Amino acid sequence: MMPKEFGYERPFMLYSPDGRLIQVEYAAEAVRHGSPVVGIRGKSFSLMVTHTKDTDPLIDPVEKIHLVDENIGIAGAGYTGDINLLIDEARLEAQRYRVVFEDPIDVKSIVNHITQFMYQFTRYSGVRPLGAALIVVGSDRTGNHLYQIDPRGLMMSGKAMAIGMNCEDATNVLKEGYREDLNMKDAILLAVKALSKAEESGSPVEVGIAKGSKFIKTNLEGALKLAN
Amino acid sequence: MTTVVGLKCVDGVVLASDRRASKGGMIGSKSVRKIYALDDNKAVAIAGQLSDASYLINLVKAEAKLMEFRRGFPLTVKEAAKLLSNIMYLGMRSYTPYITEILVAGIDETGPRLFEADVSGAITDEDFTATGSGSPMAYGLLEGSYKADIKVSDGAIIAAKAVKAAMERDPGSGNGIQVLKITKDGMEWIDIGGNGS
Repeated sequence: MMPKEFGYERPFMLYSPDGRLIQVEYAAEAVRHGSPVVGIRGKSFSLMVTHTKDTDPLIDPVEKIHLVDENIGIAGAGYTGDINLLIDEARLEAQRYRVVFEDPIDVKSIVNHITQFMYQFTRYSGVRPLGAALIVVGSDRTGNHLYQIDPRGLMMSGKAMAIGMNCEDATNVLKEGYREDLNMKDAILLAVKALSKAEESGSPVEVGIAKGSKFIKTNLEGALKLAN
Repeated sequence: MTTVVGLKCVDGVVLASDRRASKGGMIGSKSVRKIYALDDNKAVAIAGQLSDASYLINLVKAEAKLMEFRRGFPLTVKEAAKLLSNIMYLGMRSYTPYITEILVAGIDETGPRLFEADVSGAITDEDFTATGSGSPMAYGLLEGSYKADIKVSDGAIIAAKAVKAAMERDPGSGNGIQVLKITKDGMEWIDIGGNGS
């Protein structure tokens, strides 16, 4: 038995008496300190926005939107190492799918795979649940998609969502501004508005857009040009 | 069976092939593809066991793409050829060789490149090359016609003529010619004849 005074520092993945997995909840808490990502799904596109990490003039800005395959992009909030592990797993799965089927992977399949991968870290003692949440944006033959995956191994599909710090504030902005017939330009502006509500930052905005089975990573100007 | 030809030119590379697949003494297919694009600036031409070759191509495409996403820029032609030959070498070493010979052609920062990988995983850097059962006839024409300073437009004609020569005398080759030109501007596919002849 673990001495009681170990309290929250206990390393094992065990239920607390009220049925919660404390370590998993801590991982979710870690995500809430991460930099925010906002995603919106429109009729003919899905997109996400985030701030590039650009805090030190001597350090090159760190980009946060990652290409997984030609039709899918992912941005994460939380521990960078954990996010990178998930990105690499997603890229591997995308190419495994291509080897087997000679086609790009669909968004649902890759989200399922990442979710399963993350979930395994909540089942065993001795491992640390990944402190990362992801926004997945992609386009395939079934349409445009926006997904969110959290450290519990929970996936959610939706019209507009935010992860990372102050994500409730961003979500409130999205709730107010979202309409079914949002065009791409308005969607970008709404997403940026929600993002700046969650995190005040002078850093440049990075945009990822999925449309017509292609994913494009660009800056705010490029995205607005694309929308026009 | 098969004739495939590769030529390095000053402004790009050319691959050419016939369209016949043999099944024992029969013609198995009259419209088979033997040239495949790996990405925007690299392609391969195959001879030998089609199943082995297409499995290898899928594998190399996936590994190359993974590498590109991870590091942010694509593989050079030499890297792609080496990746392919490493897999073939492992196949040979584990007594389950990939029964195929593959030409890897493309253009990158180092200019036009052409490589040939064989069953053993040996890789050679070539100016012009031919493989398959029709290669002796193709070489006959290439040795006389190839010059290092030709352009892709002329190289394509020489390559097509070399495949044509092989189709005339090699029973394993026939049913039309496919040519691929790779230059800085991209890829251009040309089909000559087909099915009947």
